[in-house]
Amino acid sequence: MLPACVGMTPFGLVCGVGAAAAGASVLGALGLSAIVFSGAAQVLAVQLLAAGAPLAVVVLTCFVAGLRFVIYSAAMAPYMGPLPVRWQRGLAFLLTDQAFATSIRRFTAGGDTRAAAMHFLGGGFALWAFWQLTNVIGYFVGNLIPPKWSLEFAVPLCFIALLAPHFRSPPTVIAALVAGVAVLALESLPMHLNLIVAGLLGILAGTLADFAAERWTSR
Amino acid sequence: MDITLKLWSVVAIVGALNYLSRLSFIAIFARRRMPPVLARAFRYVPAAMLTALVLPMVVGAPAGEPWPVPRIAAATVAGIVAFATHSTLKTLAAGMGTLWVLEAVLAGIG
Repeated sequence: MLPACVGMTPFGLVCGVGAAAAGASVLGALGLSAIVFSGAAQVLAVQLLAAGAPLAVVVLTCFVAGLRFVIYSAAMAPYMGPLPVRWQRGLAFLLTDQAFATSIRRFTAGGDTRAAAMHFLGGGFALWAFWQLTNVIGYFVGNLIPPKWSLEFAVPLCFIALLAPHFRSPPTVIAALVAGVAVLALESLPMHLNLIVAGLLGILAGTLADFAAERWTSR
Repeated sequence: MDITLKLWSVVAIVGALNYLSRLSFIAIFARRRMPPVLARAFRYVPAAMLTALVLPMVVGAPAGEPWPVPRIAAATVAGIVAFATHSTLKTLAAGMGTLWVLEAVLAGIG
């Protein structure tokens, strides 16, 4: 998780800068990063708040952008069974893009579920703590970083680093291709709905390709 | 509505909704057997969701502006490095480095 932490630094800084620019107090910025704990939702929230959007619009947009967590939750669920319910509830809070992408490989690789869960818990908590730190630093000194550095570009780069190891079979490539085309084609959908629709289409395409490949090899 | 009150309302409501999203299937399926079709579909969650998340950040440009070619090129380089090395730091270095060089070159030409 340590590389993931370092990689998320620019994203945390960007979130902190955004909160400060929107006129949030440092406590408000911390509340956002500690409780909402989702860079994408935080960036959307402070942008919409700064633009004076109604509360309902802010809430609904952030909720829709966070619907991908439902899909992550579903993908993690089979590995949570052996764990006590209290653990499951704690782990769910730490379920972010980074924690999911790095730990799901460990869970699917088989072996000791409890050890993988411990890894998820420790790494997830480290990510959470580091996230608060980078948000606060961003809040106070983030605007000293020259815009010419394009620091916000580090955010997609982090996700590219998380994504690459998942391309292991033709169906995963098909899933990514379909999701990628769909997310750009559906960009006009309101409230960033294109994200979740494209994700679901990609998952469907990958699954169909998986079944097709299985039939092909079993012939 | 006062910005402070509005912000804390967002924190409380979005915080709760996000947590429920994260808990949803973990709470439902942890004690039940997952249908095999679903289990198979979930293998494609990381590839599909992360691609959908990352692509608009790279190619997204305000309406009327041309495609951000330096960003697309830098992201492509980063993608190759990520695939070859599986290293977050090398991916960041390759992507940011490519972007800075390309933007400096373009600024020099323009």
